[in-house]
Amino acid sequence: MNKPAGNSRSADLHVRAKQLIDQHHVEGLAAPEREWLDAHLQNCAECCALAESTESALRALRTVSIPFPSGLASRAQFRVRLRAQQLLEREPRSFAVWAIAGISWALGIATAPYIWQLFVWAGERLHVPKLALQLGFGLWWLIPALIAGGILLAEIPRRRFSGN
Amino acid sequence: MGADTSDTRALAEGLKRRDPELLDQLIEQYQYRLFRYLLYLTSHRERAEDFFQETWIRVLERGHQYDGKSKFEAWLFTIARNLVIDWQRQRKVQSLDTLTDPAQEAPLQIADTRNPSPLHAAIGDQQDHAVRVALEKIALIYREVVVLRFHEELQLDEIAAVMHLPVSTVKTRLYRGLEAMRVVMTETLTGGAA
Repeated sequence: MNKPAGNSRSADLHVRAKQLIDQHHVEGLAAPEREWLDAHLQNCAECCALAESTESALRALRTVSIPFPSGLASRAQFRVRLRAQQLLEREPRSFAVWAIAGISWALGIATAPYIWQLFVWAGERLHVPKLALQLGFGLWWLIPALIAGGILLAEIPRRRFSGN
Repeated sequence: MGADTSDTRALAEGLKRRDPELLDQLIEQYQYRLFRYLLYLTSHRERAEDFFQETWIRVLERGHQYDGKSKFEAWLFTIARNLVIDWQRQRKVQSLDTLTDPAQEAPLQIADTRNPSPLHAAIGDQQDHAVRVALEKIALIYREVVVLRFHEELQLDEIAAVMHLPVSTVKTRLYRGLEAMRVVMTETLTGGAA
C-alpha cells in the first residue's frame, strides 16, 4: 500500500517541477519556488533533462537568424518620405478650408442683425412673403457650411486613392 | 507597461511632428525585429515585405496616436498585427486565430514539411532550418506569443496589449506554446521528425 502512495508523491513532485520550469520562463519564480526547484533538479535526472531541453529549445529560438531582404529598409524609407511629403502638401489645403469656413461663420454671426434688416427692407420693397425671406436668410447662413462640406467631401476619394 | 521615459516621450513628440529623420532611424533600428515578427506571423516572405512597408506608412500616418507611455516596439507590433488581421478579414477570415485554430483547443497543426514554404526558404543553415521546421509545427496562436515573449522579449502585459487579449489568456497560450515548442524542438533537433 505504501509503494503506490510513494509513487504518487514522486509523480506529484515531477509535475510540480515541470510546472515551475515552465513558470520560470513564462512568469518568473519567487525565491522559495526557485530554491525548491533548484534542489529538486539536483536530485532528479528526469526533470533536469526537461529543464535542459526547455533551455535548449529557447536558446535555439533566440539565436535563429533570418536573412533580411536587401533594400527593404531603404524602400520603406523612400515610401515613408514620399507619403510624408503628400501629407505635408495636403495639410495647408485642409487648414485653409477650415480657416475660410471659420471666418465665414464668424462674419455671418457678427453681421446677422444687419443682414436680416437688409432682407426685411428688400422684402418690403419687393413685396416678398415673410416665409421666403426667412428661407433666404437661412440659406445665406448655410452657404459657407455647404461649400466647406462640399470641399471636404471632394477630398475623401482623393485620400482613398492615395492610400490613406 | 511603464515605459514612460524621456526617450519614449521624445519619440512620441517626433512621431507627432512626422519627423522624417526619426522615421528613418526607427526603420533602421527595428527592421530586423519587425520583419522577423511579420515573417513568423504570415509565413510568407513577400507578404511580410509588403506588410513591413505598410506598417511604416501607418506609423507615419498614425504617429500622433503613440503616447510614449508604452514601449515603441509593442505599439509597432500592434500596428503590424492589425494590418495582417485587416488583410485576413478582407479574405473573409475573421481573425488570425480562426485562420489556424478555430476552437483554440484543437491539437497543434502539423505543417507539411515535404513542400518547403517561403518561411523555409528565408532561414538558412541547418540549425536554423531545424528551428524553423519546429516553429512551423506550432499553431500560429501559440507561435505568435512564443515569438513575442522569447524572441522579442516583450513583457506579458505588452504581449496582451499587442494581441488585444487578457494577460491570463496570454499566459495560457504561452504555457501551451512552450510545451508545444519543447516537444517539436526536441523531436526536430534530435532528428525525430525531420
